[in-house]
Amino acid sequence: MNNASFLAVAPEVILLAGALLVIISAVMLEHSRKEWGFIAGLSFVVAMVLSVLQWRAVDTLIAEGNDLLFFSARNLPVLRLPMVVMDHYSAFAGFVLFAVGLLGLGAAWRLVERLGSRGAEFVTLVLLSVAGLHMMTMSANIIVMFLGLETASISFYVLAGFTRERPESDEAAVKYFLLGSLASAIFVYGAALLFASTGSTSFYGAGGMKNFFVTTILGEPGVLLLGIGFVIVGLAFKVSAAPFHQWAPDVYQGAPTGAVGLMAAGVKVAGFVALGRILIGALPSQIDDWAPILAIIAGLSMIIGVVLAAVQTDVKRLLAYSGVSHAGYIMMAFVAGVDGIGPMLFYVTVYAVTLVGAFAIVGVVSRHSSGGSPIEDWSGLSRRSPEMAWSMLILLLAMGGIPFTAGFVAKLSSFTAAASADYLWLTILALLTTVVGLYVYFRIAATMFLNAPDEDAPAIEAPTPARMTIAAVVVTVVVLGVDPWPLLDLVREALPL
Amino acid sequence: MIDYLWLLIALPLLGALTLIVLGKRIGEPASGWLASTLVAIPFIMAVILAVPFAGGAETEHVYVFSWIPVIGANASLLWDPLSALMALIVTGVGGLIHIYSIGYMHGDDRYPRFFGYMNLFIGSMLTLVLADNFALMFVGWELVGLSSYLLISFWFSKPSAAAAGKKAFIVNRIGDWGFLVALMMIFAAFGTLDFAIVFARAGGVLSVGMATAITLMLFVGATGKSAQLPLYVWLPDAMEGPTPVSALIHAATMVTAGVYMIARTAALFELAPVSLAVVATVGALTALFAATLAVGQRDIKKVLAYSTISQLGYMIMAVGLTALTAGIFHLMTHAFFKALLFLAAGSVIHAMSSEQDMWKMGGLRKYMPTTFVTMVIAWLAISGVFPLSGFWSKDEILGAAFAKGGWFIGLWAIGVITALITAFYMTRLIILTFFGEKRWDPDAHPHESPSTMTIPLMVLAFFAAVIGLWNTPVRLGLEHFLEPAFENVTQVHALGNLTVTALALISLAVVTVGILLAYHRYGRGELPAEDGGYWAAALDGYGVDDLYGKVIVAPGKAAATWLAMIFDVRVVDGIVNGLAVVTKAFGSSLRVLQTGWVRSYGAGIVAGSLGVILWLLLRGGAF
Repeated sequence: MNNASFLAVAPEVILLAGALLVIISAVMLEHSRKEWGFIAGLSFVVAMVLSVLQWRAVDTLIAEGNDLLFFSARNLPVLRLPMVVMDHYSAFAGFVLFAVGLLGLGAAWRLVERLGSRGAEFVTLVLLSVAGLHMMTMSANIIVMFLGLETASISFYVLAGFTRERPESDEAAVKYFLLGSLASAIFVYGAALLFASTGSTSFYGAGGMKNFFVTTILGEPGVLLLGIGFVIVGLAFKVSAAPFHQWAPDVYQGAPTGAVGLMAAGVKVAGFVALGRILIGALPSQIDDWAPILAIIAGLSMIIGVVLAAVQTDVKRLLAYSGVSHAGYIMMAFVAGVDGIGPMLFYVTVYAVTLVGAFAIVGVVSRHSSGGSPIEDWSGLSRRSPEMAWSMLILLLAMGGIPFTAGFVAKLSSFTAAASADYLWLTILALLTTVVGLYVYFRIAATMFLNAPDEDAPAIEAPTPARMTIAAVVVTVVVLGVDPWPLLDLVREALPL
Repeated sequence: MIDYLWLLIALPLLGALTLIVLGKRIGEPASGWLASTLVAIPFIMAVILAVPFAGGAETEHVYVFSWIPVIGANASLLWDPLSALMALIVTGVGGLIHIYSIGYMHGDDRYPRFFGYMNLFIGSMLTLVLADNFALMFVGWELVGLSSYLLISFWFSKPSAAAAGKKAFIVNRIGDWGFLVALMMIFAAFGTLDFAIVFARAGGVLSVGMATAITLMLFVGATGKSAQLPLYVWLPDAMEGPTPVSALIHAATMVTAGVYMIARTAALFELAPVSLAVVATVGALTALFAATLAVGQRDIKKVLAYSTISQLGYMIMAVGLTALTAGIFHLMTHAFFKALLFLAAGSVIHAMSSEQDMWKMGGLRKYMPTTFVTMVIAWLAISGVFPLSGFWSKDEILGAAFAKGGWFIGLWAIGVITALITAFYMTRLIILTFFGEKRWDPDAHPHESPSTMTIPLMVLAFFAAVIGLWNTPVRLGLEHFLEPAFENVTQVHALGNLTVTALALISLAVVTVGILLAYHRYGRGELPAEDGGYWAAALDGYGVDDLYGKVIVAPGKAAATWLAMIFDVRVVDGIVNGLAVVTKAFGSSLRVLQTGWVRSYGAGIVAGSLGVILWLLLRGGAF
């Protein structure tokens, strides 16, 4: 144990401490909603600062020749299994996750206020889920990754069903739980098979998977291949890639709108980062095995996501399907191997931020108790609330990949990565589905700007935290669209160990 | 301080943003003064930053932020004597015109908006001249086109103004197309758009053919922006804009962008003798052609418009002769005397309640003495009377043509004839406006303009008179100043003292003849009836607009109609609708799978996993 090992887990510690404080304050103080928000917000901000410190510390550790792996069983020389890794990759992912958590909390604040005393549980679950997500990204061992995955998933199951009075919410939670359990089971099975073939649960270290392939050539790779396949399936479920996506629209639609943005965005970031950790961090030598699987899943996701988004009449479902297609665009970067990590991180960052903003706007615009957001609610939004309409327009343009939004740069770098890895068919497919995607997004834009508002449409009121979230997202999306280079330079360095 | 060079661009753009968004609240005189201040500060900065060049300071490359580094296109600014001189002209003359507009635009409904657009133009023009790479230059190039369009059609409720704005924009698109193609070729050849790299490597990288292709395309861009044959047609119509706009954009600054661009890229033009010959010839022909048109105009601003085209022809001819200093010199002197002519004409129009027909003026010198005196100075300067500015700069161009020898002597002769015609039509303008009988409406009450208008006139008149002394054959001040900017280019210079003196005497004699002819025709009582024959043709611009209308516009419109009504509706919409129909049909059929039942979703996951396993089994060689 040394100082760096404390820093490696410090963000988790902070989030867990924040979660405990929220519960305690809910018990001790009455009417303490503002305090929960303050504690949770502060925890996220401190965690973000810690991510920056981690990034810096990694530079010093490398310069001094120190190890980036922690909690290995040093007393057992045979095993030497590191559990946690602190590298630029995890620090970057941490920063994004904590920022998404902060933005998501802002978007969900009206829900928290409406929930009354149960709001404390909601805030606690948000903190715990983000801690779990970050644990996935900093794991050096597949068991730790699974623990993180489950911590986050169980929190999300509960969050999806948080508005218990609505049957749709219950249904969403149960569906998410049942299908999520199936996916988790598949993931664990894959992890077991990986252990069976490599003799290790750790990615790194002397006895880790990465090292195993440096020294060994498997004559009979069947067990290994199945392990890789199942791990991919488990994570593909979490990021809602096709054909493992079917839960997403039902859950997005049924779950409380305030929670959906955080759930959808956070799990995409952590899921893809974890996928990169396993495939690029531990199994880079097996790229010829896993890249075609990802390419096919990516292609399917693009087609199914975009085609089904085109026929949706509910904006929340539409965003779910659009998320399936975006999962495809992000996944296609992986086929370029380690060169795809930068584009993947850029895309997933931009998309996560955009998605949180979009769901924040959905939450402001649609106040139906049923939880859905039928497209009629959006009629003539430009006249009812020009700021919401314009913000949504910018986010839709970003999702469509229009230049001068961050979405364009994200698509461009992801497509370039796939093209340079000679996956031309995938690149062309991505371009074609992007064009169809524009139709999907412009349909909402047209409804907002061209249709007349309903006579009895309720007035739009945006609470301040949601406003701040939306403003921050819109500014980020535009700034990164105009000058993406600082972030592009950053993600180029953020490679897994 | 050089690190803050970007403020030169940022301040006017900030002013534009403020005035366009908040203009109504800022109100009438305040918005004019705000806009003027935001041009005056950059002017002062430019002066301070330009002074070191007199002592031989180094060229500066000021990096602002990274934009598209892969293609060598960053937001990076170039501060060398050439860009400094251009920045001084743009902010100096521009600032005076801003102040003049405070009085001229008095009472306009959209007064703040006008100044917002003017500031936008200044910021754009500074982007163009300060750019350190082709991409940023193109940004400025397009932005000045935009602000020119906005300002020409500023009074868009007048259909002719709206049409003129559109025409300027569309004709400029042709030029922009050429510029863009040139940019692509440059990128293809060099892999970067950075000025320094392109110019340094040009000699080694470009074949003569490639250099010719690139420079001819660049020249297409220049003919559009600098109103040369055959793309000059937009400039006379652009006079529909408010007069300060004509002075600033369509005389002193924007239209010289083509000249600046050729001077800046002289390292490329030098490799392509054919292009240079084309440039010089087009310039000379434009100078002559436009001068003959200027003679026959009745509208005071139209005379000045054709005169501008003619003078731009001189400048283009100069850069085509690789007499770059001479071209830039004439650009500078012209900026002063032509801006002055326009502003003085504006003062006259202002006094005559918007009357622009010179046949309805006359005898105005007693009513507006300041305007009269300043305009006389401008008249002598543009005519090329010793020792005013136009004399020095025009003679340097003519001297360069003569010095180049061979068939270039022909260009010299064209230039001399143009000088004669110039002296003639300018004298005609002065006599018709200020001398002779009062021919105006008895209701008109001509009066001198307010001091915000006359003070800029006096400042400009001072420079129009003396600025030529900066670069005389005796003392080549500008030549030395610009030397670092043109150090890689071999320039043509005028010959020895005897020849120079002889040539100067010839053009002085020619100018005198021109003035005397005009005096003989207009200065002695009865005015000649100018109708029929040449006069009708000149008023009609020799029918070039009609010709373009029949040959280019009509077929273009027919093609556009076909594309819009037939091709777009049947083919493009057909494909798009078809795609949408197919997508929706496909989506609806897939939707059946979305049953909402957990068991069917679970089956989906299992089926997907089975697919993955199947692939892996194949890959692992199980079958």
